[in-house]
Amino acid sequence: MEIDDKLLKKLQALALVEIKGQEKEKIKRDLQNILEFFNKINQLDLTNVEPLFHPLSSGKLRKDEPIEPLNREEALQNVKRKEDGYIVGPRTYGD
Amino acid sequence: MIKVFTPDEKTAEEYVDKTYERIERVEGKVRAFITLRKKEEVLKEVKEAINRKQGRLKGVLIAVKDNISTKGVRTTCASRMLEDYVPPFDATVIQKLRQEGAVILGKTNMDEFAMGSTTETSYFGPTHNPWDLERTPGGSSGGSGAALASGVVDIALGSDTGGSIRAPAAFNAVFGLKPSYGTVSRYGLVAYANSLEQIGPMAKNAEDLELLYSVISGEDWRDATTISQSPPKTEADLSKTRFALLKNILDASQPEVQSVFKKAINKLSSEGATIEEVELKYSDYALPTYYIIAMSEASSNLARFDGVRYGYSKYYEGTWKETFAKNRGDGFGIEVKRRILLGSFILSAGYYDQYYLRALKVRRLIKDEIDLILSKYDVILSPTMPVLPPKIGEVIDDPVRMYAMDLNTVLANLAGIPALSQPAGFYNNLPVGLQMMGKYLSDYYLISLSKSIERVLGYHDLTANL
Repeated sequence: MEIDDKLLKKLQALALVEIKGQEKEKIKRDLQNILEFFNKINQLDLTNVEPLFHPLSSGKLRKDEPIEPLNREEALQNVKRKEDGYIVGPRTYGD
Repeated sequence: MIKVFTPDEKTAEEYVDKTYERIERVEGKVRAFITLRKKEEVLKEVKEAINRKQGRLKGVLIAVKDNISTKGVRTTCASRMLEDYVPPFDATVIQKLRQEGAVILGKTNMDEFAMGSTTETSYFGPTHNPWDLERTPGGSSGGSGAALASGVVDIALGSDTGGSIRAPAAFNAVFGLKPSYGTVSRYGLVAYANSLEQIGPMAKNAEDLELLYSVISGEDWRDATTISQSPPKTEADLSKTRFALLKNILDASQPEVQSVFKKAINKLSSEGATIEEVELKYSDYALPTYYIIAMSEASSNLARFDGVRYGYSKYYEGTWKETFAKNRGDGFGIEVKRRILLGSFILSAGYYDQYYLRALKVRRLIKDEIDLILSKYDVILSPTMPVLPPKIGEVIDDPVRMYAMDLNTVLANLAGIPALSQPAGFYNNLPVGLQMMGKYLSDYYLISLSKSIERVLGYHDLTANL
């Protein structure tokens, strides 16, 4: 698998991260090296091995009871762009 | 072995004065903190805490890693993305500390979003190792380790996803515990890799480590992965302890590390401890397995940083996709970008089975192998880090070389078991750490053993000359 411009472009779209011109070559090289290091695990025969997603075998649920949430002012204290107690987001349409 | 100093009404001012004088003297060289709180505020809180009826840490100052949410105190994760983010709530561990009367002195430097092993990926610049200012303090909780070793605080909090408490504990000659998974609430810890990480205590001796762990641990309804069971308070007897020494991991360590470590374990043998060599069959696969899982979880966790509700948001023109991508491109540093790009790749159609699923299977093999060793031995022993603290700039440009430093520490995170690092000795004034991994929920047993070991080796309550 080669990390070329096309794949890097796809990954930027998947991760929603823009990589600027001067970073591109270094990132491509790094990703390539790291991927080669990852390929080590392809040497193992893993038939009949169950994946281990999490160190705890079972989760739990809390009781469905109402709690006191943050008030609006606290909840919005880190929002840079707001209007009348609402968050102003970027456009969701257009190209 | 000295219990943490607890100020009273007579000593409160002197205690706070001395702390800030020490900061004045060392912080310019070490740069352990991203945010230091104002002296007047801290003194006021210390005095208030002293007057409380109860509390095990009344008026005690603590340094907190900057990925743990503190109400009203900026929490940056050492990232430009969160440079001015002030949480409106406290993490559960912070609530618990406040209930016991502890006072937050400041927020410590770290690798950006805890991604790194040297505290060099911080947006705010590197922390310097108090034992040798040209070297790194390890990471990612490097600021907490350096704040201890430079004599500013006696206790600190770190977080450990693949060694981030133990690496700085080893490189700063202090104590650090990566707790059993599920014993400390992660509520309010800015998530990097949920299935691997725990908040944990750092201190200058095993006694303080125990006190801090007992304060921060416990079930929390706000973190569904905390368990109701508490680790039992088992006492260890060093002379009857059976240690499994990871031979291939020791052989892969730098000769300088090996010589210090071997001297230390010879002393443990002289006390009657049994130390036998074992091979870890899958050790070659531990690092890729760990990094595949960590990056996959990271790419999903860091999706929340959109710059809309909080965080870096220079750009707002264009569609949401363009805006998010631009803000995230500027707000994240290169290591974070590498990890979320690769995480996205690993989880994408066609590669999920080849990388992510396979890594989870190897995780199972590694956990089973470690469990098997721990069914025959009490503790698994190794150096904490395979190398001496690297010089600043030495490994940072070569990610694969930096990742290789985590070989000994990632095992405990993959398996969910507790692991403790304490000072083993020095090579030319550079600290070397000794790591013990124990059975799940043997946290207090490891701490008890650590108390015996600090007595035998004589390395505790160490402060670097600065």
